[in-house]
Amino acid sequence: MPNLCSIDQTPIKIIAMSWKDETNQIHERRRLAKLQGGADAIKAQHRKGRLTIRERVDALLDDGSFDEIGMGAGDAELDENGNLIEFSPANYVLGFGKVDGRRCIVGGEDFTLKGGSPSAAGQRKSVYTEELAVKMRMPLIRLHEGAGGSVGGAKKQSLSAPVFEPHRFKSVVQAMASVPVATAALGAVAGMPAGRLVAAHFSVMSRSTAQVLIAGPAVVQRAMGEKKTKEELGGADVHTRNGTVDNASEDETEALAQIRRFLGYMPANVWELAPVSACDDPVDRQEEALLEIVPRERRRAFDMRRALAMILDRDTFFEMGKGHGRSQITGLARMHGQPVGVWANDGRHLAGAMTANGAHKVRRFIEMCDTFHLPILSFVDEPGFMIGSQSEREATIRHGANAVLTAAMSRVPWATVMVRRSFGVAQAAHYGPDGYVLAWPSAETGPLPVEGGVAVAFHREIAQAEDPDAKRRELEEMLAAKQSPFPRAESFSVHELIDPRETRPMLCRWIERIQPLLPSLLGPTGFSVRP
Amino acid sequence: MATQIKLETGGSMWKMLVRQGDDVTAGQELFIMEVMKMEVPYEAPADGKIVAVHIAEGDVVEEGQLALEID
Repeated sequence: MPNLCSIDQTPIKIIAMSWKDETNQIHERRRLAKLQGGADAIKAQHRKGRLTIRERVDALLDDGSFDEIGMGAGDAELDENGNLIEFSPANYVLGFGKVDGRRCIVGGEDFTLKGGSPSAAGQRKSVYTEELAVKMRMPLIRLHEGAGGSVGGAKKQSLSAPVFEPHRFKSVVQAMASVPVATAALGAVAGMPAGRLVAAHFSVMSRSTAQVLIAGPAVVQRAMGEKKTKEELGGADVHTRNGTVDNASEDETEALAQIRRFLGYMPANVWELAPVSACDDPVDRQEEALLEIVPRERRRAFDMRRALAMILDRDTFFEMGKGHGRSQITGLARMHGQPVGVWANDGRHLAGAMTANGAHKVRRFIEMCDTFHLPILSFVDEPGFMIGSQSEREATIRHGANAVLTAAMSRVPWATVMVRRSFGVAQAAHYGPDGYVLAWPSAETGPLPVEGGVAVAFHREIAQAEDPDAKRRELEEMLAAKQSPFPRAESFSVHELIDPRETRPMLCRWIERIQPLLPSLLGPTGFSVRP
Repeated sequence: MATQIKLETGGSMWKMLVRQGDDVTAGQELFIMEVMKMEVPYEAPADGKIVAVHIAEGDVVEEGQLALEID
């Protein structure tokens, strides 16, 4: 209440001696802001198995490290005496925090208010998220649940944005070009939040609570007559397969854990190097099983992830994009404590052949490593681009050539281990400029695998033979037997031909040797970002 | 609770190496698929007994299909 008193029957407003009233209201507004959309809205959120944005931020960050920005942003309703009747906070929560002791910026829509559809101040805070990350040079984490604009619009009529307003996505791009950006879809994410979800170096969606949609079921049915649930349109099964998001998690907690893990390999920004940690895994560890992991039988696939686990620092491999372009394996790991990008083929999927999706995944991956100056370890078992009519329809050569050219432009140090096959144009993507190349005795190279090559190069002989199938097999066996690893070492076309068990020690020594190169790479890349 | 072995890719079932009732040890090959002319072996994730076999040699199979159950 304002201070009113009466002297000589004349009401006079006494000027308050302190700022207590306003201060009280500041605290009251902050208290109301923490109530978010109210007890019922929070209960509804929990009933759906979802956390509120404030609970998410707390679960993500180190205990007590959240330092909020814009606590007073929102819509206030006052009575005629200027007393606060109602305060509806901006539906975007933003602030600084720490993940494993390292500073970052975190923001996310508040679904309990307007279903996360931006309020005026909420919109401003969300736009500011990237601006802040760019300015402060800190990793950015966005926790998304919300839709884009609504045709109902805001309650209050306001001026539209001026023509000279900066492009809405400019700061989104600047953030991606300068700091690690990790995002999570934790509930339904549509429109603008969906656009920002994928503008990230790493994105994860919670299988149990999240969908990602350009437009939801009602809009889709109205426009196209297609009747689909949110899950059918944009559930984790759809989006981990098509590469929209990198990873799925069982629930929200695991999604946040994945983000923490991702950030552990990342530098704070492009002007700093990724944090090298002490490595308690012996650098000279040599696993016997590596000697036999590649079967001599050429048609027999093997488990590349098992090989990676034996070579990389123990338990450090964090795979990204496992469901998408599955013939290629990409992820982050540590080698001798140094964060590295790891790329390998998975011969269990389409024989490891590079598909359009696989090439897209790999191109993004190489660019991320270049942006954050992470050395790349490449383990090759590449039979070449995927062939066949479906592959041609998917423009595999265009996407594949993009991957090859991206590798050719890469500036970070590469070490490539020729594990088995390295064929065709596609294999060129697996080697960086001036890369360090090691070959296992099982390495095979050439323009195309023996099986395909024989059918083309010897088609006359095969056709004219009494038993064409037998002739083809005979030629294949003869040529396969000629594949020897030694000429590659003799002609110095690889740095070393190695015993597979030596892979870890050799790569650890390489990591030591490249340390002096890394600082000279710091700064933004020439290509900015191509998400 | 039985462990379900599901197929990571489509392809054809080439060789079944175990039968219902067999005891298997972790890492033992259970069956071999043929995918893009490559033989893709599947191994037992842990020790156990094969309690159900859902695919047979020659089957054309799809990704995600349930192949075996181990208890």
